[in-house]
Amino acid sequence: MGDIIVKTKVGEYIVKDDLLYTKTDEWVRIEDDIVTLGITDYAQKKLRYIVNVELPEKDSEVKAGGSIVTLESVKTVADVYSPFSGKIVEVNTTLLDEPDLINKDPYGKGWIVKIKVHGTISKEALLTPQQYADKIKKEEEK
Amino acid sequence: MLKEVPLIDLQRKLGGNIGEFAGWITSMDYGNPLDEHLAVRNSVGVFDVSHMGRYIIKGKKVFEFLQRVVSKDLSKVDEGFMSGPVLLLNDNGGIKDDIMLYRIDENTWLAVVNAPNVEKDREWMIKLRERFGYSKEDVDIEDVTTKSVLIAIQGPKSLDIMDELGLSFVKDLKILQFVKDPEILGGKAFLVSRSGWTGEEVRSHGFEIWADVELGAKIFEKVVKLGAKPAGLIARDSLRLEMGYLLIGVDMNENTNPIEARYWLPLSLDKEGCIGCDKVREFFSKGVEKFRIGLRLKKGIRVIPRHGSKIVIEDKTVGYVTSGAYSPYLKRGIAMGYIKSQYFYLGFKVDIEIRGKVYEARIVDFPFIET
Repeated sequence: MGDIIVKTKVGEYIVKDDLLYTKTDEWVRIEDDIVTLGITDYAQKKLRYIVNVELPEKDSEVKAGGSIVTLESVKTVADVYSPFSGKIVEVNTTLLDEPDLINKDPYGKGWIVKIKVHGTISKEALLTPQQYADKIKKEEEK
Repeated sequence: MLKEVPLIDLQRKLGGNIGEFAGWITSMDYGNPLDEHLAVRNSVGVFDVSHMGRYIIKGKKVFEFLQRVVSKDLSKVDEGFMSGPVLLLNDNGGIKDDIMLYRIDENTWLAVVNAPNVEKDREWMIKLRERFGYSKEDVDIEDVTTKSVLIAIQGPKSLDIMDELGLSFVKDLKILQFVKDPEILGGKAFLVSRSGWTGEEVRSHGFEIWADVELGAKIFEKVVKLGAKPAGLIARDSLRLEMGYLLIGVDMNENTNPIEARYWLPLSLDKEGCIGCDKVREFFSKGVEKFRIGLRLKKGIRVIPRHGSKIVIEDKTVGYVTSGAYSPYLKRGIAMGYIKSQYFYLGFKVDIEIRGKVYEARIVDFPFIET
């Protein structure tokens, strides 16, 4: 397969083929009951340059659909949502000093939190890379 | 309908992240707006500001017409000079727009207007032309926005770039002075001026070039090759905010009067016979209910006050923010806004409420930086 590059009139966005996606533009990597979460290349490009990150406390509980992080860019403010209920087991505190890692490397060094999910992980509400790529196209062509 | 600025392909090639402003598709940044901001303050940056509206106003009654239309006494503007910002006021003394006029000669002027107002300003001028009883031969207002590009070269090293472009004569230009038909890179531009909207122009470190699209593209590309950092509208916004320059539609509108905005630069308060000017004098003598202020967060605070954030003293809302930005130069969030005039406490600290949290900020005057 390989990564998908979505090209629209406005820009180009990378969708990694080894991740799953949410409708609110987060990506997740699922390893056993631990989920690593960040925002997508499309999301960071829409947000623009990020100058401030408000991170949750380690060990705090999150609810499915709840806001866990606030990102502040030069243009706007956006919440990051968790698709699962669980406990925050790791926070990427490097982002406090270098919030633009999310812009530079959204799928790598710009990861945001790791969540230990309560119960079984349901992938039903998540989008496959192709579904997410289609969502971007649809939004951009509006 | 969205329009692309003429140099959009070149902007993309240079890494521009594009977006929309006032109906135009242009670059918001080229990867890092904070670096772009700092390049302008410490070295040199280049902006494509071709989204700005541009008119040629000509005819035998243009001078007396413009004298009645704008807030500033234009008799003090010599040929070959720009007016500095002048206001288009409505009949109530509210601010329709701040525009820049260029005096080519008594009967020929150029105007640069804000992009969101390019149609409205022209309609207003035509309406006033009718009200004053002038003909189209007396005063002709032609919108030439899409026929040319406007490039701003800003920063302490801007003169080096101008030298390399073969424009070393610009070192003798005064601030707001311009020269017509300069030869650049084998072509002829419309004009070059010592000006800008970043604050660098007041340090004599800003130049703007008007040229046709083809030559403009050549100039922009060359200037980048010579070391100027391409910069987008986000950096332009944080730079203007550091200077305390007001943005139309955000920091002022038709319900704002220039006294409460403390926008003294474009006013000739003793000028008679101009639209809205009597009203402004009335505001001046009666007093106003609020004042425009600057707000500085503590060093290291990266939160950005946003349009509508409340200014608070002991749980009481005493004002509101109209625009904010992160200043990479001052390493903190900065903002401008309005405060009730009885709380015009320059130098004191107040609170700003941003998304439910309260942040301490000092009330300061403009500009935020030394010039």
